[in-house]
Amino acid sequence: MGLEEINLIWLEGQDCAGCTISIKQASNPTLIDVVTGAIPGLGGLKIAYHPTLMFEWGEDAAKVLIDAMEGKYDPFLLILEGAVPDEAKAGEGVFCGIADYEEKLLTLSEAIDSLSKRCAAAVAIGTCASYGGIPHGNPNPTGAKGLLDYLGKDWTGGLGLPVICIPGCPPRPDNIVQVLGQAVLAARGLAPLPELDEWHRPVALYGYTMHELCPICGFYAEGTDAHGFGDAGCLGAIGCKGIITNCNNTTWADGYGGCTGTGAPCFGCTHPDFPDAPTSPFFAKAPAMPFIIENMKGMLAHAEMGFERFKPVLESLLPQIPEFIEELDKQMEEEKDKGRKI
Amino acid sequence: MGFLDKLRGAPKEEATAAAPGPGGEREITIEPITRIEGHLGVHAKLDTGAKKVTDAYAYSPMFRGFEIILVGREPSEAPMITQRACGVCPVPHGLASVNAVDQAYGVSPPPMGVLLRDFVHGAEQLYDAQLGVLNLEGPDYSEVAVKKFNPDWWGEAEKTKASRSDVHGFATIADIMTALNPLAGELYLRSLLVQKAGHNMAAIFGAKHPHVHTFVPGGLAKINLSASDIESYLTLLMRHVAFTKELVTATDDLLNFVLAQGYADVGAREINLCSVGSYNDPEAYSENYEDMTDWGRKRLVSPGVILNGELVTTDLVEFNAGVREFIGRGWYSSEWEQEVKTDPAGNEIAYEHPWNKRTIPEPGEYGKWGSKYTWVTSPRWNNWKGDGKNNVLELGPLARMWATAKAGLVPASTGSSLKFELPAAVIPGFKYAAKMEFEWKIPAKPNAVERVRARAYYHAYSAYCITGLVMQALEFMKAGKTKVWTPYEKPKEGIGFGAVEAMRGSCLHWCVMKDGVIHNYQYHAPTTWNASGRDPEEKPGPYEQALIQSPITEAGDPAAWKGVDIVRTIRSFDPCMGCAVAVHIGDRIVKRELLPYATPE
Repeated sequence: MGLEEINLIWLEGQDCAGCTISIKQASNPTLIDVVTGAIPGLGGLKIAYHPTLMFEWGEDAAKVLIDAMEGKYDPFLLILEGAVPDEAKAGEGVFCGIADYEEKLLTLSEAIDSLSKRCAAAVAIGTCASYGGIPHGNPNPTGAKGLLDYLGKDWTGGLGLPVICIPGCPPRPDNIVQVLGQAVLAARGLAPLPELDEWHRPVALYGYTMHELCPICGFYAEGTDAHGFGDAGCLGAIGCKGIITNCNNTTWADGYGGCTGTGAPCFGCTHPDFPDAPTSPFFAKAPAMPFIIENMKGMLAHAEMGFERFKPVLESLLPQIPEFIEELDKQMEEEKDKGRKI
Repeated sequence: MGFLDKLRGAPKEEATAAAPGPGGEREITIEPITRIEGHLGVHAKLDTGAKKVTDAYAYSPMFRGFEIILVGREPSEAPMITQRACGVCPVPHGLASVNAVDQAYGVSPPPMGVLLRDFVHGAEQLYDAQLGVLNLEGPDYSEVAVKKFNPDWWGEAEKTKASRSDVHGFATIADIMTALNPLAGELYLRSLLVQKAGHNMAAIFGAKHPHVHTFVPGGLAKINLSASDIESYLTLLMRHVAFTKELVTATDDLLNFVLAQGYADVGAREINLCSVGSYNDPEAYSENYEDMTDWGRKRLVSPGVILNGELVTTDLVEFNAGVREFIGRGWYSSEWEQEVKTDPAGNEIAYEHPWNKRTIPEPGEYGKWGSKYTWVTSPRWNNWKGDGKNNVLELGPLARMWATAKAGLVPASTGSSLKFELPAAVIPGFKYAAKMEFEWKIPAKPNAVERVRARAYYHAYSAYCITGLVMQALEFMKAGKTKVWTPYEKPKEGIGFGAVEAMRGSCLHWCVMKDGVIHNYQYHAPTTWNASGRDPEEKPGPYEQALIQSPITEAGDPAAWKGVDIVRTIRSFDPCMGCAVAVHIGDRIVKRELLPYATPE
């Protein structure tokens, strides 16, 4: 597969375009840097199809999808924003049509079924595309699911990679460009393949919980809890789900914002079960067990650390103990003699 | 069966049979309409001889079921969930929703909380206005589009001097068109970078954007509020103040030229408009339903319903009681139980009012223009204090500028225009530093051009309003009024209505709470009214009205028309559009040198 030129086929399913608005804010690199080939190794990327970006419309736009299905845009990365509904549940109707071509409506699932057979790799951007997100929320009226579920955990693309998920509602701007960038660099042999966890998230970005990376976690450590919005303190008591949510939103973009640092309790928008339990109700306390485990581990670890810190002091004192005893004996003798008069 | 198989199995002659020569009729289906947020298509009939649109149907082929997902949840989750309806304009959803929940819970934020919510809202309006004008609608009037679809305009544009080149720096109209070329044009690219300042401003008090996480009933979840937060916000705001001077003058020059090419009737419709207002008086806002009449009128962008050019009301309570949501041609059932008979002020509430209406999907076949054809319902406004008729109202920046200019409730309003001044801002990279006076005048009628112009002026007017609010925030800081949230006891039952302007229309939310959870939740996205289909009286929705009888200027063989005038009309409404960072045009490779402002800020 020649990889000098790689097309991006970006489909929008049951989406809100929020992931697109997020990527527009990326700084390291900016989307313009990527598309113009300003970054060595990342040149030759073309946005062949993106419903909110492209100049073409109507039939001309639909034709791009048809041509891609027939191989005219190989090699390409299939990118999905938004969830995939179950069209069988729509009966005669349609839950997500994406293009009209010669008087027929192309549904999202038809497009994915066809394009996933020839794409180099598939990337699900956002929680909806990854795991179903909001449309998948109870009672899931349209039978929505994410790409991971739709294509299956065993699916692999032309480059041998499974579906890559970048969850978040939306994901942080830099996270999106960086994962896409690494996928392209890896395809060209310039970078290692991104290591994925069991939810197909890149470990480098989603390896820790928001609680572990929280900018105000010191409040938790010292036991200062917020009991109302706007109170400076750990947000755990007012619903923060950072302890069960793998995320790195310490600041949003360019150093501004960030959920917990601003004062907004995390409600788990990167979590595979978002927006249902355990992330919902958003302002109810997170499950207790992670806190209990963390506290027990913390107590033991701190006890050990405390012991380690005082051990040298104790050890340096040990050889002096006989001398101390002698000295104490002497003093005791003196005490005995006190007050005696001959 | 895959889509390709479906295509191969179909006889082709049927599909293309409707393309006759000059003087005939032609049908065109445009789906997807790109450079918009979400999924929208148009099916239109064209008279190729008279060069005009004779009939049109606007439709959305995507359904997610938010209102069903919301039932049974804590009402405080609604501002977070409903923002996810739209990644381009999430904050008005969050704000209208949190206002509805404030009412249902019976709690209002401290003045600083009201102000900071509006800071987040204003920040979004600033990014969103330029996105619309320069990145989504602009490319339709760019050199690329004009040379392709209206080649006779180009020579004229090269000859026509731009009247405000002292501000924006472009010598001719053709230069402005070139600056709008997707991915390459100067205005197009600089707009994307100034927009980042809008997202950053929203993140300071919203934690992130899109989908801000700080909107809670009773206020805003912000800790350690300090004057430095407000200073950061103000610094970024001044970039918008500087940029809007170029944006408005360049847009004015371009659009005056387009109008002179005979574009006044494209996308025109009657003067039936509606605004619900924006930017609250922080000390007037309250959760009390009846107080809405007063604090609505104190908003810096005025509420107002305009019927046939006359301002009928500026009262939000009267507006709410007149809302009807007909199922129309939407793929839904219209059978539900009427549970709410009156509003908290005692006004009668109709069966079709969103406090009663339920969302019951009934998916139907695609392309049945004679029956149901869309996932959009048909909201209308009943003039219940007047003639009792249902009206098709257009929402958006044109409507709200019009209502504000006419209502005379704010200092900038003259009765026929909005007049205001923006301060000097000396910032490297921007072309015009001095202070500047703006005047937006009410145009003769709504049309494609005036909708875009109003959007540019709304950017300037928003910058003006927010600058004032920032000064007010500093006053509050000085006075020690820094509380951002009011504690509350959540009641078991409650009802609420929230309304605020999003860039492309009014965002309306209704919440009915029972047993402490959502019993019914309905919202109208800013595009719902504009994109609505036929109502039970067979009246087309605003997009459809604007298209029917609209002239076609596109050059070339009618059989090959791409419908540029149709998409210009639709995009003039800015249908909840997503962004337009990059466009692939043929084999064009854009060089790094063309991007002087592309370095991260």
